[in-house]
Amino acid sequence: MIVIRNIRKSFEGHTVLRGVSLDVRDGETLVILGESGCGKTVLLKMIIGLLKPDNGSITVDGSDVVSMSYKDLQKLRFDFGLLFQSAALFDSLTVGENIALALRRTKGLSEQEIGEHVRNALDLVRLERVEQEMPSQLSGGMRKRVGLARAIAPNPRYLLYDEPTTGLDMTTADEISLLIKDLRAKLGVTSIVVTHDLHSAFVVGDRFAILGGGVTLFAGTRHEIEQSPDERVQKYLASSLST
Amino acid sequence: MKSLSMPRDSNLTGGGIFFGFLGRHTIRFFEHVGTYAGLVWWMLRNIRNARTYSRTFFPQMVQIGNDSIPIVMFVSMFVGMVTAVQSAYQLNVWIPRSVVGGLVIKSVSLELVPLLSALVLAGKVGATITAEIGSMRVTEQIEALEAMGYDSVSYLVTPRVLAGTLMFPILIIFGDLLAVLGGLFGAVIVAHVPSGPFIAGLKGSFSTLDIVFGLAKAVTFGFAITSIGCYEGYYVKGGAADVGRATMATVIDTCLTVVVLDFVLASVFLS
Repeated sequence: MIVIRNIRKSFEGHTVLRGVSLDVRDGETLVILGESGCGKTVLLKMIIGLLKPDNGSITVDGSDVVSMSYKDLQKLRFDFGLLFQSAALFDSLTVGENIALALRRTKGLSEQEIGEHVRNALDLVRLERVEQEMPSQLSGGMRKRVGLARAIAPNPRYLLYDEPTTGLDMTTADEISLLIKDLRAKLGVTSIVVTHDLHSAFVVGDRFAILGGGVTLFAGTRHEIEQSPDERVQKYLASSLST
Repeated sequence: MKSLSMPRDSNLTGGGIFFGFLGRHTIRFFEHVGTYAGLVWWMLRNIRNARTYSRTFFPQMVQIGNDSIPIVMFVSMFVGMVTAVQSAYQLNVWIPRSVVGGLVIKSVSLELVPLLSALVLAGKVGATITAEIGSMRVTEQIEALEAMGYDSVSYLVTPRVLAGTLMFPILIIFGDLLAVLGGLFGAVIVAHVPSGPFIAGLKGSFSTLDIVFGLAKAVTFGFAITSIGCYEGYYVKGGAADVGRATMATVIDTCLTVVVLDFVLASVFLS
């Protein structure tokens, strides 16, 4: 379980988060919604210690991420898979090597086992015969799938998705959303999806949190979100559904 | 109120502007030095973590070392030829022609090959490293490494700095050999110095200590060029234009560092 309490963060005098609190329950998919620049990605990166909050606490299974040493953070990150907005594939490595790199951090896997894990991960994201391709030879949707394969290959307990459908056409975005839903069913991992794409959010999410003005405006199920009397929430839903 | 929003320097006199400029740049310089020292310290502290960089170390040795052999050999050969021709030109008829060989071996092994090769490699190796790591930074690849549980400094910086530190002396050995051959060619063909006296002068002035000193310089330059290249790339912020600026900064910083280190090493070991 991930518990986020009263997180504050500023960059060069500009306050992005003013006290965000959230709970992520085991096995669920929590979608964090909000307009661009509201601090969704910042929050996601704080969960695995890539950024440090100015104030507040983040605990993962009872361990405080904020005060963790670098060595402990590295161990904690073994439990996480992160899909970056840009996929962040290593452009000097082939697709297979990209996924293998994620597996090599764990000791004891032979090259043959790593090869099998790579193929399994590519099967899960429905990609075939791309192991030897370079990332520059892939389309945007395929790059996201490879990024996803890299994230799931080491069997993490938590999957974090940063804008998984951004920059994709509607058909590919729908495919990625269904893939995320499918992976959750197959792998049973706890997931956090950061997005501003409400259509995708409703496909993949169990619960939803809306960030705005640096705080959590709302957290709850789809039904609760749609019934919320909060004007800011209804305004956000109306503006997101109209785009 | 309007004057409050004007730039700070607007109310200063010429001296104030000068010292303000000097102060800001001095602070920025020491900030850079501090961050660079921190990166190097982190790299050295985790150097035993060979598992992280073992796969990237040999490709880096090839890229930094093998791929630089042609340019180092080319530069060194011409350095040797020019040194021989200019030495012969400056000697009058009363000085034995064997001195040309002595001047060539001393000049190239002590100074010219290590320094000029380092300046060429500052551009080739240093700039390449900054562009590679800087591009990884702006496309979130370094964050992706960290997110996977890798120490990005051990994965990216350590193999490049180790490869540079090990391969530069090897390049300089090749360079010294080519410079001597180039010197022989320049002396005999262009300056008409007989090969016998040239080789005799070469043998007479040969000193293992000079070669060792040249190699020690190469180790220092290799470390400086690769670590500065890594530093500039690792701390890039922004986009492609910032990678370009960082790459240019690497070329300037490494060239300046090399000439300063060259003087420091000569002062410490040769004075």
